[in-house]
Formats: sequence, structure tokens, C-alpha cells
Amino acid sequence: MSPELSRRSLLLGGGALVAGATLAAAGAAAAIDQATPEPTGRRLSAAGRTQAGVARPATPQRNALHAVFAVPDTSRLQRDLAALGSAILALLDGPSQTPNPTLPDGPGDLTVHVGLGPRPLRAIDPSLPGATPMPSFARDDAIAADRRDGDLLVALASSDAGALRPALDHLLQAVPTLVPLWAEHGFRAAGEGTVARNPLGYLDGIIVPEGQDELDENVWITSGPLAGATVCVLRRLRLDRRAFTALDVPARDGVIGRHADGRPLSGGGPRTQVDLQAKTPEGEYLVPARAHARAAHPSFTGSALMLRRGYAFDRGPDPTSGVDDAGLLFVCFARDLDAFVRTQLRLDEVDDLMTYATATASGSFLVLPGFSRTRPLGSPLFT
Amino acid sequence: MRPRPRLIPTTLAVVLGAVAALSAGACSSSQGSQELVRVPADAATITDAVERVAPGGTVLVAAGTYPEQVLLSTTDVTIRGEDRNATVITGEGKRPYGIVATADGARIENLTVRETTFYGVLVTGLHDENGPSAHNGDGYTRLDPDKFPPVRRFSIDHVTAANNGLYGIYAFDAHDGVIQDSYASGSADSGFYVGQCRQCGILVTGNVAERNAVGFENANASDSVMIAGNRFSGNRVGMTLISNYQEAFTPQRANTVVGNLLADNAEPDSPAQASGSFGLGLGISGGIENALTRNRISGNPVAGVQLANTEDLAAASNAFTGNAFEGNGVDLANTSATRAPAAGNCADGTPTTSPADLLAPCPGTAAQPAAPLEGTSVPRGTSFLRVASPVAQPDMGAWTGQAAPLPARVTMPDPAGFPVPPADFLAAMSGTA
Repeated sequence: MSPELSRRSLLLGGGALVAGATLAAAGAAAAIDQATPEPTGRRLSAAGRTQAGVARPATPQRNALHAVFAVPDTSRLQRDLAALGSAILALLDGPSQTPNPTLPDGPGDLTVHVGLGPRPLRAIDPSLPGATPMPSFARDDAIAADRRDGDLLVALASSDAGALRPALDHLLQAVPTLVPLWAEHGFRAAGEGTVARNPLGYLDGIIVPEGQDELDENVWITSGPLAGATVCVLRRLRLDRRAFTALDVPARDGVIGRHADGRPLSGGGPRTQVDLQAKTPEGEYLVPARAHARAAHPSFTGSALMLRRGYAFDRGPDPTSGVDDAGLLFVCFARDLDAFVRTQLRLDEVDDLMTYATATASGSFLVLPGFSRTRPLGSPLFT
Repeated sequence: MRPRPRLIPTTLAVVLGAVAALSAGACSSSQGSQELVRVPADAATITDAVERVAPGGTVLVAAGTYPEQVLLSTTDVTIRGEDRNATVITGEGKRPYGIVATADGARIENLTVRETTFYGVLVTGLHDENGPSAHNGDGYTRLDPDKFPPVRRFSIDHVTAANNGLYGIYAFDAHDGVIQDSYASGSADSGFYVGQCRQCGILVTGNVAERNAVGFENANASDSVMIAGNRFSGNRVGMTLISNYQEAFTPQRANTVVGNLLADNAEPDSPAQASGSFGLGLGISGGIENALTRNRISGNPVAGVQLANTEDLAAASNAFTGNAFEGNGVDLANTSATRAPAAGNCADGTPTTSPADLLAPCPGTAAQPAAPLEGTSVPRGTSFLRVASPVAQPDMGAWTGQAAPLPARVTMPDPAGFPVPPADFLAAMSGTA
């Protein structure tokens, strides 16, 4: 099947899902007087070939909590990961009739995935994907040391923002030795699939791998003991909205390479890929030479296409600088760390959007293969 | 590949229509049987003539204007104009191609191709039953060399390509050919382009490129490529040797660049170079092991030569010997990023450099310091359709009969036969009508 066909059928499938969701919402409104409200979102299995929350659900839940920890004692890692995995299964995949004091309304579409940072990976095997930390990118020197390259990521996502912190706190009881480094509560604008408006007012996540074939090609490690794993990069980017919105609209569009409704400056509809070669008769690129859509295009680096599922954050003014501590927690998944590293190095050289972004936390994590009651979380690392 | 379309929005619908017409023509193509087909005496159009001509035959085109695009898919065919300056194929600013050759042994000679939106003359192995498929790339796929083996044996000789929206004369996924004594101006990308081949066996010689965004461009064409005795002067950028991950066969390596004139590349009457380059004689991005010998590189106001990285690919081990540098902003500059520092690029003589301690004597291996280049004010681009037309170009003369099929390999000239060219090298072919 050609990528075109698979993409088209997937888009059609997505449309059907949206229609279904709308109907379900109408049903929920009609049932509002019921004593127990229905949990939001469809329940997802935590067990599987891959961990939940990376590619399923296809439309990311609106809320997420990304929590990053130090692992003081890596010799306990196999036990700790197994305990964490068991706790996740018990919390999310338990019988729905069982009373659940952590999530009284049930888990809904809550997902949890777990990844390991470079230091513990090196301790297990320096040749593991993600065992080498990312290089320092432009202006990364300003990131505090305890907000770089953490050891362990627990990423939770749910339609119900109120479910995230109780679930995390509950899961951490299984791994009491973890030391919290930083965490970010994020929210997504309304959207379909991975496409949602970012804090600068532009649509993000338009060109991502879709469907099993594209995910297998670009996102999942597909062979060996780590089959079903993927490499996640988190970049907490404070965005200077004031400076960006001080530009007039055509200048903003030029920084991004698309209009606010998603249409590329090279023409077409909101889901059209940018045409990198399109020029005016005078020889100027229609998508400007330093536009983000051009700079981040994977063809220039020969990289895998990253699955991007970022979340906005907003913590109000920074107490010391007074600058709004708001922006985007960039979240991507790819089959190797190089896909992000090569792209970010390129962005540092040729992307005008970087002018408006300041990284305030950063990390890379090997999101472990999927797990189940018979295949403990992390077990493929230790075989 | 640069094969991807640069769709100019106002002409998009027309372009798509033209592609459909090309496809229909290709589907119905059948091999002809005539050794010689004269246009318009035997066939009203060049396209009709190409349908009728036998393998190894000739299509001889009389003076006239031919508003068509020609797909040549029969082996060892010559398309020859009877009057280089008056046998004109025009895209009228709305059709993508002039002549596309997808068969081995193609000869295109002694004619003019103008005002196409993509390519004047294209020789390529990347095609399907509907014609060249380069324009179908969606930006996430690139040439699969196993699926599309290169077309072999070609000759483009005494062809004038003017006012084309992308490239004037273009060979990619093509081997064992010659581009010679031809002329290109008013191209919105480059006048001449050779790309995507290893052990290419391609000779580019005796050509003039002026008033283009870039005179001559090589992306990922390596090993046996000789660029000898050309005039790439009066463009925005004279020539480039680049590695490009968007195309197959990175990195670019080991071309012989000898006896060329790369002068005064700061021409306002040209389309813009899309990344904003201007005032540059030769740019090497991520290219390695090229031998640049006895070229005259002069009067380029930003830099005679600029070395840069392509992503993680360094410009490395390029050797400059016996070149005449004069009157450039700086003769040799290195602007490589720290992630892929230039290394082992060496030069003899005493060229000026940026930074000052850039060069080591040949041969070199050391990593080299870099510094940003000072910018210059860049004039706005001129529409490719409005760039001034060339002066009349030399004609091959009367046709003297069917030529033998092209040989399997190009006989490369001895580089020693190319001295530093004089400042007025090939000046008779330069200028505007």
C-alpha cells in the first residue's frame, strides 16, 4: 500500500472516530443526572507489545504529567522496574468492578509509560539505544544540571487532568527510592490526531508517522530483545510569545512556514506537506529558507520521521526574572536518538523559530518495550 | 534529488494538465522505424517525430518555434536542430520540460530550449511508464538507485537553455555522458546540474553559464566527474559541489575541476539563489576529495571559495592547486559549523583566507578554524522569465549524416591540457541579445 493510500484511509478512519466521539459526548450529556459519571475517554490496555501513551491512543489525551527522577541505586533497577510495571497493571488493567481509591471514577483513558535515561542505560549496557546522552545544543548551558538527562521518566496522560497526580503518587509507592527531579503538567489544545495548536497559535504535529507501517519504520525498534521500545526526547521550551506575536502575521507565517490554519506557504490544504522546492518566479522559496517547517524537515538530515505529541505548560511569571514561564513541552518518539539530535543541531543552525524558544529542561529516555503480567517491565534489558 | 517540483502557484493547474498530457503520450508510445525523421517535413512536431524514429535514428528539426515537451525513450536517438539559435522548443512559461531523455544513448544537440517551468533538458533514469517520475516525490522519499538504474551514454552538445524555472541542462541518475559547448542563463536554480551518481563518467566542458542563481551545481555526483574549461561567471553563485541527504549517494566526492573561469558572480539580472547566496565563486558544502586545479577565481565580492558543512558531513580534503585568485572579497573562506569542522583542505600559493589561519600546505589533514562571512546586500531576484536573453550562440553547422552510437565510456581529456583560463575565456558566448 502506498503511503498516500494508507494515510488517506487513516484520515478517513480518524474522521469516523471523531464522529463517534461526538456521539459519545452527546450520550454523556444526556446521562448527566446519573449518580456516577462515566469516565472520560475509552479505556486502554496498559499491557501490550508496546507501552501505552506513545502511539495509542492515536489522538493524545488532553492532559499529561511528565515526571523525571534520579535512580540512586541502579543495582535495584530490574526489581524496581518490575514493581513499577506491576503497579501500573494493577492500577489500569484491574477488574473495573473493583473499588479503586486512587481513581474512584476508574482509569478512563489514563496511560502510563516508563523510560530510562542515559546513565542507568549505560550501567546496564553502553551499547543500548539512548545510552549516550544528547550533546549540548545551542544555549543548553542555561539548563540547570538537575533538569538535564534524568534517569527515569514516568509519563502519564489522561483526558481527566485530575487523575494524573493521584495515579503518579500511587505508582511511586512501588518504587520508593526514586528521587524526583522535575515534573511538568501539560495540556493540549483541541485537535485531531496528533495535530493541535501550539502556544504560538500554530498547528503542530501535522507530519508524523501514521499507521502501523509508518510507525514500525520510524518509531518502534522492531527487532531484537528491545522490539517495541522507542526513544523519547523531552525538551521543555519556554516560548517568548510576546516577541513572536509582536511580528505581523505574514512574518509569523514566515517563521513557521505555514499559515495559522495549517496551509503551507507553498500552497495546498491544512494537511498538505510543505513543498520545499516551490519558488516564486524570482527564485525565492515560498517556504522561507529559515522557516521552521523547512528547517525541521527530516529529508535534510536523512532521519526517521518523529512522532510528536507535545504539551503546553503555563506556570505564570518566573519568580526571579518575571518572564512568563510558559511554552511547550516538546515530546517526540523515534527509533533512535539520532533523529532528534541531528534535527536539533540543524535547527540551531538554520531555524528562525529557535529565536523564540529557550530550553529549561531536557532529557532522552529509552521507552521500554511493552510489558504484561508474564513479561515484567524492563525484563528485556536484563536477558 | 532536486527532481522535486517547484510548482509555481499561478501555473499549477496548467502544469498538472501538461503532465497528464505527457503521460498519455508516453502510454501510447511505440517504437518507430524511420532512420531519419525531419520536422516539420516528415512529422509536424518533434513529439510525432520521436514516435516515428527507429533506434539509432535521427530527428532533424528545422528552424521554428516548437511549443511542446518531448519525451525521448528510444535508444540511441539524436535530436538535432538545424539552426541552434532558431530551432526553439518553448515551455511558454507553463510546461515543465523541454526534452526529457530516459533512454540510453541520447544525443541532444544544436537547439534552444526556453521558458520551461522545471527543466530545459533532462537526462535521467528515474522514470516510469508515464515518463519522468522525479516530480512525484512527496518530500519524504528519494531516488532508490536499485529500482531506477541510471540511464547510460548521453551527449548534450551545443544546446542553449534560457529562462527555465529550475535547471537549464540537468543530468541525474545518469552515467557516461558529456555536456559540452552549451549555454544556460536565467535558471532559477542552476544553469547546469549533475547529480546522484557514483563512478559517473561525466564530462562537463566548454560550457557557459551566466545570469543564473547558480551557474553549475553538483549534488552527490562523485568520482569520475570532470568539470573542465567552462565559464561559470556572472551568476549569483558560480558553481557548487554539495552533499545533500535529500538525494542518494552522499557524500559528494572526488571531482576534477580544472581550467574553469569563475568570475564576477554577483549578477543582479538573475533569479535569487533561494538560500540568499550572492557574490560567491565556488561553494563546497560537505564535499570531499575534490581536486580544484588551474581555475581562475576572480571578482567574486563575498568569497572566491566558501567551505561549509552539510549537516554532519564536513568539507574535507579538497585540494586547491595552481588556481589564480584575484579581486575576491576573500579568496578562501570556511564557515563550517563546529559539529562538522572542515579538515585537510589545502591550497598552494598565497590566497587570502577567512579566518586568516585557515590553510595548511597540500596535502593536509588537520581540522581547520572557521569564521562567519560578512554578508553583503543582495539584490532582489529577477523572474526567470524576465532575465535577459543570450547572444546568438555558435552553431554546429549542417548535419552530415547519422552519427555512430555513443561509446560505452567517455574518453576524458588530459587535465594537463587545461591551463588557467584567461579573464576573457569564452567571452564571445557571453552577454545579452
